[in-house]
Formats: sequence, C-alpha cells, structure tokens
Amino acid sequence: MTVSVDSLSDLVVERVGFGIFVLDREMNVLMWNRFMQDHSGLPAEQMVGKSLFTHFPELPRVWLARKIESVFQLGSFAFSSWEQRPYLFKFDHDRPITGGVDFMQQDCTFMPLMRDREVVAVCVTISDVTHVSIVQREREEAVAKLQEYADRDGLTGIANRRFFEARLRDEYTRWQRYGGDMSVLLFDLDHFKKINDQFGHGVGDTVLRVMAQRVAGVVRAQDTFGRFGGEEFALLLPCTPLDDAMRVAEKIRCTIADTPVEVQGTSVPVTASVGVAAARVGAPAYDVLINEADAALYSAKRQGRNRSVAFV
Amino acid sequence: MSERALTEDQRDALQEVANLAMGQAATRLARLLDAFIELSVPRVRVVGVSEAAQTLREMTGIQDTVSAVRQGFRSDIKGEALVICRSDSIEQLCSLVSDPYSRSAYEAVSQQELVFDVANVLTGACVSSILDQLGRTPVFSAPGLLGEAMTLEEVFQPGVLQWEVALLVEVNFALEDQSFRAHLVMLMAEESIRHMNGALDALLSSL
Repeated sequence: MTVSVDSLSDLVVERVGFGIFVLDREMNVLMWNRFMQDHSGLPAEQMVGKSLFTHFPELPRVWLARKIESVFQLGSFAFSSWEQRPYLFKFDHDRPITGGVDFMQQDCTFMPLMRDREVVAVCVTISDVTHVSIVQREREEAVAKLQEYADRDGLTGIANRRFFEARLRDEYTRWQRYGGDMSVLLFDLDHFKKINDQFGHGVGDTVLRVMAQRVAGVVRAQDTFGRFGGEEFALLLPCTPLDDAMRVAEKIRCTIADTPVEVQGTSVPVTASVGVAAARVGAPAYDVLINEADAALYSAKRQGRNRSVAFV
Repeated sequence: MSERALTEDQRDALQEVANLAMGQAATRLARLLDAFIELSVPRVRVVGVSEAAQTLREMTGIQDTVSAVRQGFRSDIKGEALVICRSDSIEQLCSLVSDPYSRSAYEAVSQQELVFDVANVLTGACVSSILDQLGRTPVFSAPGLLGEAMTLEEVFQPGVLQWEVALLVEVNFALEDQSFRAHLVMLMAEESIRHMNGALDALLSSL
C-alpha cells in the first residue's frame, strides 16, 4: 500500500507534540491541530472558519494582531517567549502543582506561509516549555537561598563579616559622594572567654545567639548589624552623626547588660564594651572607620569595660 | 578571512544586494510601523570575527557600551544576526514599536519584550530582504539577549559566538524627527560565505 506524501504531512501535523494552527490576515482560523483541540477542548470543526477571538475572547487582541500583521508585512517570523509572556492560551499543564506554575508555559512562533513570494497565511506553533520554566524557577530560588546563606552568620543568623564590609564599603562610597553623616559601632562581650571556660562552649554559643537576637531587635531597619568574628559585633549606622551613634551605643549596652541570659537554669550576666566612630572628611577608606571604632573599643575595655566610648 | 573572501565583482554585487534589500526593508517597516522610517545606504564589510569589534568601532565610532540581541537564521546560507545599539539608545529603539498597551495597566508589555520585538522586526526585515535578493527563504529562531551593557570586544569575543566570518551591514535607522543608530551584523561560517559567493555569482551571471 502506498501513502501519498501530502497525507503523511497531515498525519504528522495531527499527532505532533505541539500546537499548530493557521490564521489568515483577519485572524480567522484556517487550521487547528489535535494538540490545540486536546488542550482547549475545542475541535477543528468548531474553530475553522471563525475568528480566533470567537472562542478565545480573553486573548490579547492588539498584541496578537500586531504579531500577525508583522509577519504579513515583513514576510518574516515573529516570536513570543514564556520569559516575557508566560502563556498565550490558558492551557493546563501536566506538571506537579508544586512547580508553582498556574498554566502551561508557552513559546510561540509565528511563521509566514508563502506562495509565490507572497504571505498567504500565518502558522502559529505553541511549544509546552513548562518543564523549562520550572527548572529555571527552581534554580533561581536555589541561587537566592545560597546568596542568603552566603551573607548570613551561621550561628547567630545576622549578617556575616563579608556582607557587613560590603555594605560598609557601599555606604562609605555614598557618603564620600553625597556627604552627610555615618557612624560605625564595634562592640565586644566582656570576659567572654570566662563564660566559655566556666559554663562550656554550648552556653557560650547560646549567649552569642541570644545577644545577637536582642540587639537585632532594637536596631533600625536601615542599619546593618553583623558578627565580626568571635564575640565581636559591628553595627553600621547610615545618616547618623556621632552624638546619635553614642545614644545607640548606650541603648545596645543596656540591652545586653540589663538582663542576664538564662541558659539551662543558670543565669549568666553579660556586659559589653562599645567603640563608636563617625566618618570624617579626609579619611581615605572605609577601613579607617573600622580602625577608629576598634581603637575606641580598646579604650572602653581599658577604662573598665561595660561602657561606650567615642573615637575623638 | 578578510575582504578577499569576496572578489571585487562579488563585493559590488553584495553592496547592490544590500542597497536593494534595505530599500525593500524600509518600505516594509514603514508600512508595518505606520511611520516614515529612513534607512541609510548600508555600508558593507566582510571581516573575520576577530577583527569585527575593531572594524565596527571604526565604522560607527562607538566607544560606549552596547546592547545586543542575537537571532539565528537558516537556509543553505545560515548564521546569526545581531542588532547592536548603544545602551543609552535602547528607549529610542523601543519607540520604533510603540507599546500597544501604554495606556492600559491591565495589559503590560515589558521593556524586554519590546526590545525583542523591535530587534526581531529589524532583523526579519533586513535579513529576509537580503536573502530574498539571493533567492533564499530563511527560517528564523527566537531572538535572545546577548547583553545589555557590553563593550564591542565582549560582543565578538571568541567562545560567545561560533561563527568565523562577520558580514557587517552598518545601517542607520531614522524615525521621523529623531535619529539614532542601530547596527545590523550578520555572522556566518565560511561554508555559508561560500554559498553566498555562489548566489552572488549566479546573480551576476543573470544580469
């Protein structure tokens, strides 16, 4: 038995795994394949000969008309990607709901059908790219999560030193350009080694965690609070002059010292020493600010701890 | 690979093909966009991809960063077309295809979609017209963003593009009172250049 080549093409179009339909210049449907029927529930007999909008009034009419017209005018292709326009038709997809995708994600191609160098109709193909979009979304979420982990201190959950210094550098650059005020606090839990020695490292870790959370609760949203290493913490205060920074320092010192930490039935008293420095004209780089806050912190320790000292 | 890839006759024929094609493309674009669009006489050069950045810089004087959209085309002459414009001209480029929903919050069209639309329209009109002159009907693939703020060297750096030869077609698009420049580059493998030479010879012998 011989099969004509023409009829083979028809069978392929019928069974192929993506949507194929053909429109004339007035947006009337000339052809509608099985994929389109299966996903829309509308057979070719209902679609062919009618305007596409008869059964799909929700389609973006102006946008679609312009795509089709550009193919007729230029005799060239037009495209639509799921990345800019997730779907054209509201078709269900067969992926798990957990993918977080509402409808089948679609890449569309608009092809000119030519006879004697004239465009006689436009063929539209719809590819199901739901799996691609889900993989990409998952990857973006994973990257965002990794980014989050990369910026956080594992023990306390506040910013780590790398993130803190990056923010400080940005803020310092802004300050150099636009002026105004900015300050930095460095503080250190007093005699922390004794806490570790006396109660063990587990308790020491709990003290660090509780203190970090307590302080995080009193800083402003625009400030950056980070763990600098060991029992040392840093707070970046944008748009804050030295006097105000000293008030913040005292608030933090009291937040730490006023209430002992309760760990495993034991009350552990903790105090902190705070060094404060404000950006001053003439300082060449942000690390000068850190060095000055560190010098003030050293001075607070020497003066007997549990106090705030400003660098002058 | 350099200009010697083409004989002098072939080069003249290619320039003539480009002239005719751009005339055709301008007419089609004007009809599509319902605006008077002027395309300058194209300047055509064929260079190796390694020389493309330097040559395009000499032709255009571009020192700043550029945005580039890539799009594949396929017939026996196949390759990739780039639409390149200065990063700060993107909005002017987009104004070629006004947002049909600019006054509707319901149907938003993103800037990215507009960039792809306009690049697709320019590539489609110009590349189709050139290949049409050579008797080819190309198939296109979807446009993709190569980069939004790249130097010309980054656009043509080895490894990013797999093509050996660049057919530089430098065209200015002018839209009514505002004029800005966008540049079309067609990149091809040597085999496609050979097919193009054959097509140019056929054209010459038919005259």
